[in-house]
Amino acid sequence: MTETSPENDGSGATGTAAQANTPALEMEGVRKVYEVADEEVVALDHAELIVGSNEIIALVGPSGSGKTTLCSIAGGILSPTEGKVIVGGNDISGYSAKQLTEFRRDSVGFVFQTVNLIPFLTARENLLVVDEISGRDRKRANKRADQLLEELGLADRAGNLPSQLSGGQKQRVAIGRSLMNEPSLVLFDEPTSALDTKLGDQMVELIREEMKSRGTAAIIVTHDERITGYADRTVHITDGRLEA
Amino acid sequence: MFLALREMRRAKVRFGLLISAIGLLVLLILAQQALQNGLITSFIGAIERQSAPVLVYSVDGQRTFQGSIITPPLEKKILSTEGIGKSGRIGQGTFSVRLNDATDDSDAAIIGYTDPAVGAPDQLTSGWLPNGPGEGVGSDTDFSIGDRVKILGPGGPGQQTETIEVVGLADDAQLQVTPTLFVEWPDYLASVKSNNPDAGAVLPSAIGVAPVAGLDAATLAERINDSSPEADALPKQEAADQTPGVAEVKQSFQVIFLLFGLVVPLVTGLFFLIITLQKSASLILLRAIGASTGLLVRSLLFQVLLVIGGGLAIGIAFYTPLSQAQVGDIKLSFDVQAVITWSVILLVLGMLSALVAARRVLAVDPIEATTGEGGR
Repeated sequence: MTETSPENDGSGATGTAAQANTPALEMEGVRKVYEVADEEVVALDHAELIVGSNEIIALVGPSGSGKTTLCSIAGGILSPTEGKVIVGGNDISGYSAKQLTEFRRDSVGFVFQTVNLIPFLTARENLLVVDEISGRDRKRANKRADQLLEELGLADRAGNLPSQLSGGQKQRVAIGRSLMNEPSLVLFDEPTSALDTKLGDQMVELIREEMKSRGTAAIIVTHDERITGYADRTVHITDGRLEA
Repeated sequence: MFLALREMRRAKVRFGLLISAIGLLVLLILAQQALQNGLITSFIGAIERQSAPVLVYSVDGQRTFQGSIITPPLEKKILSTEGIGKSGRIGQGTFSVRLNDATDDSDAAIIGYTDPAVGAPDQLTSGWLPNGPGEGVGSDTDFSIGDRVKILGPGGPGQQTETIEVVGLADDAQLQVTPTLFVEWPDYLASVKSNNPDAGAVLPSAIGVAPVAGLDAATLAERINDSSPEADALPKQEAADQTPGVAEVKQSFQVIFLLFGLVVPLVTGLFFLIITLQKSASLILLRAIGASTGLLVRSLLFQVLLVIGGGLAIGIAFYTPLSQAQVGDIKLSFDVQAVITWSVILLVLGMLSALVAARRVLAVDPIEATTGEGGR
């Protein structure tokens, strides 16, 4: 699998103009069908979506509308039943399970709704684990983790375990972790669901800042319409169908 | 191994307790092994320590010195067997003795031989073999050089007629868990006579033989057995192993070892299965962000290796001083072979026991990170 991450000089600036023009995500006619008790359940129905290289999309829809399925397919956690998924110029539609694992490790970032941090690792180690599982240069990873924690205002919490962090701090660590592998696309699944309104706003603002400063694309899955104000574009999804 | 080590560092008590438990079990296994070896050596050490490659008992002697009597016709038949290089009489009796200036009586086994090449101890820890009347080699757990062992007559100390001076010591040289002396044949005869002045001709308990060059002990034993139905010839190690009671002792300990051998992997396997279930959310997250199942399984097995290795280190550390102890008349010893064998067995069983936990790791589905399953 080719490396899709843009070269980064450590300042957060993106790489070449060609890379900047490549869409972070292209979905063409993507379907996801589950077999449930001999019946077909369509979770995603011919989804067409293009996310620009530094675009932030808010994906809004009710529960069970297919938001998480779309995100999971875009992030290589699920494979589509039909259609084409291109992330950072690479068609991942036909990837094997092993290739998808490598793709997730190297090319995308995730911030999940409930499971985000390893409880027995400190904040800094939760960032470093991304590089540990990929076997990348540890010296560079240390530098990047420290830089991200500094940017996220967590430098003084680097040695704290998740149990010693507040909800907002945990989410910020998760954001830091999602950026450790310098992804072209970060997927946020309900990032504010566990936070109060004020903290939620701060969090989305932080997400926007971090993504824009790096030129990284993001999809924020939410059912909170207020978040759409921080996104470049809002896409609605209902019963597995996207509505622009 | 970043994950494995970090997890162990953050859960020191949990992993420390498991390592301690494994260490305790290893200590128990090795202590039992030392006890078994010590017990068996105390029973039959003298048979293994004597120098004759083949021992010939009478067939009705139940493969013991005590029960076997070699009659002159049988001795003649044995000695006529082709392939015997050296041969000598071996006699054994247990006598009441008094050591030096002691006021209490005790028992001692006395083994007499006519030819030191086929009956005397094959190795001494100190001193020398008897080279004159009234000298003997003693088992080193019971005697010291210069000890004087008085053989008591049937009337007690007043009838003591024979004294053996210990001039040499041999390790692992007890017979029937009794202090043992190896003496030359005339001293053995004198001991028997002092104990039973009315005894007639003293017959040997066994004949020690060595094959001629180029012939092995097993073949010579077969030839002797073929030459007379009354002869029961056995190579030295077989004679030791087939002494009545030895197999039963070994079987009893085998059952104990089997139980311990099952407990260690069961404890390890259950512990890692519980740990794996408890950290399933972390495993799901790791899989979702791109950790391969191979990496997670390797991390698990590395922890198993560290836990078993740590347990072995603790167990062996405590076993080392314990193995230098003496339990009554039974001398324990550090058994390198047992340490290596048990280390390998427990490492392999420990690894195998973690396979159930490894299967759980392999079954982790990263999609659960998005459905919230891992958070439950």
